[in-house]
Amino acid sequence: MPDPKGNLLPVYVLADESYSLFDHAQELNHGLVSLCDALRAEPMIAAKVRLSILGFSDDVEVRLALADLRDVENLPSLRIRNNTNYQAVFKDLLTRIPHDVDMLKTSDYLVHRPAVFFLSDGQPNDDSDWLEPRERLIDKTITPAAPNIVAFGIGDVMAETILQVATDEKFAFVAMPDTNIGNAIAKFFVALTHSIVQSGRSLTSPNPELVVEKPEGFRMAIDIV
Amino acid sequence: MAKGKFPFGDGKRAGNPGKHAGRPADVTDPAAAGEPPDEPTHHGPPAEPSDWPISVSFTGPPATPDDVRRWATIIVDEPIMEFEPKPPSSRFYLADTIFDGWSTEHFTIRLASVRGYSHRYRGVPRQDDAQVVFHPESGTVLFAVADGVSGASESHVGATVACSRTVETMQSQLISDHAIDLAHTVQVTAQQLTAEAADLLGQDQPTLATVEDLLATTLVAGYIQPGPEGATVAIVQIGDSGAWILRGNRYYPLLGRKNDPDAQVISSAVSPLPRIPEHLTPTEFRLPPDAVLLIGTDGFGDPLGDGEGKIGQLFAEHLRTPPPARGLAHLLDFSRDTFDDDRALIVIWQKAEAPEVPP
Repeated sequence: MPDPKGNLLPVYVLADESYSLFDHAQELNHGLVSLCDALRAEPMIAAKVRLSILGFSDDVEVRLALADLRDVENLPSLRIRNNTNYQAVFKDLLTRIPHDVDMLKTSDYLVHRPAVFFLSDGQPNDDSDWLEPRERLIDKTITPAAPNIVAFGIGDVMAETILQVATDEKFAFVAMPDTNIGNAIAKFFVALTHSIVQSGRSLTSPNPELVVEKPEGFRMAIDIV
Repeated sequence: MAKGKFPFGDGKRAGNPGKHAGRPADVTDPAAAGEPPDEPTHHGPPAEPSDWPISVSFTGPPATPDDVRRWATIIVDEPIMEFEPKPPSSRFYLADTIFDGWSTEHFTIRLASVRGYSHRYRGVPRQDDAQVVFHPESGTVLFAVADGVSGASESHVGATVACSRTVETMQSQLISDHAIDLAHTVQVTAQQLTAEAADLLGQDQPTLATVEDLLATTLVAGYIQPGPEGATVAIVQIGDSGAWILRGNRYYPLLGRKNDPDAQVISSAVSPLPRIPEHLTPTEFRLPPDAVLLIGTDGFGDPLGDGEGKIGQLFAEHLRTPPPARGLAHLLDFSRDTFDDDRALIVIWQKAEAPEVPP
């Protein structure tokens, strides 16, 4: 690369926008604001993260695309709508991530393996149709920029499902059964913020790492299955 | 809260200041106003080698504003925001910036190590270090550069211990009239890191993982010796710090490259000290008389890339002849958005008028 402009970490936050979260839209959007504010307060980390916020339901809608948060003036918000379709998520990421990575490389950035943070409150309506695109997404021979996927389950979603979404059992978390969903969303965003900040700090280390923090009130999904 | 850390490479283990909130444009410097220029820019006149030294004398003419501006941060493209650094939080004193410079009969040496903008912003100590010593009897210059791994809690100590123990061991070998054994030297350094960890933790025999968690560091070390057919260099590498030859405007990497430019994403497979690779083979070569040898951490190597960009151009221009030692520190402290890591760099020139060395 003739003139490297920096090493970037693309981060994708996939947030469930299905109707079952109708009563918690405020907590979700509150969480997004706190995430963006926290990153903007760490401008040297924000410089190295490109944040995408994608709302999913029957399809995926882009709330924020590959943004340098230092340049974002209007914060995105999520919109509650329809069902929970995981297939739409993985089909979208299958084209979006390679495209984004190519675009960043064309702009003379070196790119770390992307990180996907996936939050859902319900079982997918599309049964197991999503498993095949998810496999293609994480297969490095098919998708060289295959992301690490960290999955968080709240409400009705089953621990087995969250384990299937995540790329490593250490990346799969579910809220305790008696946890209030609004609180769980808030704790998710706190842990997400810490994870992104600490991962961003590690980018200049000889051993850059994806740092994943377990949200308070969550358990490892593997401990439940 | 529980926390896991996983290398990006394989995913298995392992008010808003904003970017435009930097210094205001210097209206006295046309290059600093308006659109960022294509070439590396300085606040104040470009620091040509002929500008050194700047005359600030109680008996001579007073320093001009231009003299002072020469010490402003060198900005390349978009700068990192401006801020006052926080003091480093550490039990051990570590200066923000160190530099050194001297000449022997055969070589001119410059060394600088500067704390990264991110560590200055957060009050974290400089985790890079560099040391260079001279063995007069053989005319050999011994060098070491280390980059403490951020995840290790006392990595700044690890980097300093690695550098000092490495050059001491090489020096001892020369004093004992032995050839320098770089592989053995690295083993001694790894053992010293273990001993240091034992001391810090109050444990008799800390495990390798414990030492790693406390003191992990990269290391590039070696020596340059004068010889009848020119200077010979030997270098060994553990981790992702690097070394380059600079000839004219071109950089030639001497060691394993950190990033494959053709790879879709960055690989993060690095094993720093105290771990030692199974096969550790020093790189040995003869340094062409017109070549400059550079040994540096990735805080320098990452923005350098293949050397064809603005950072490569900046250093090629200003390392054509040796700047003052403080000049290298100033140069190395350049500001470019996203490059906020600690930086350490040793530069070695062969003297044109070096006396002949008997065979």
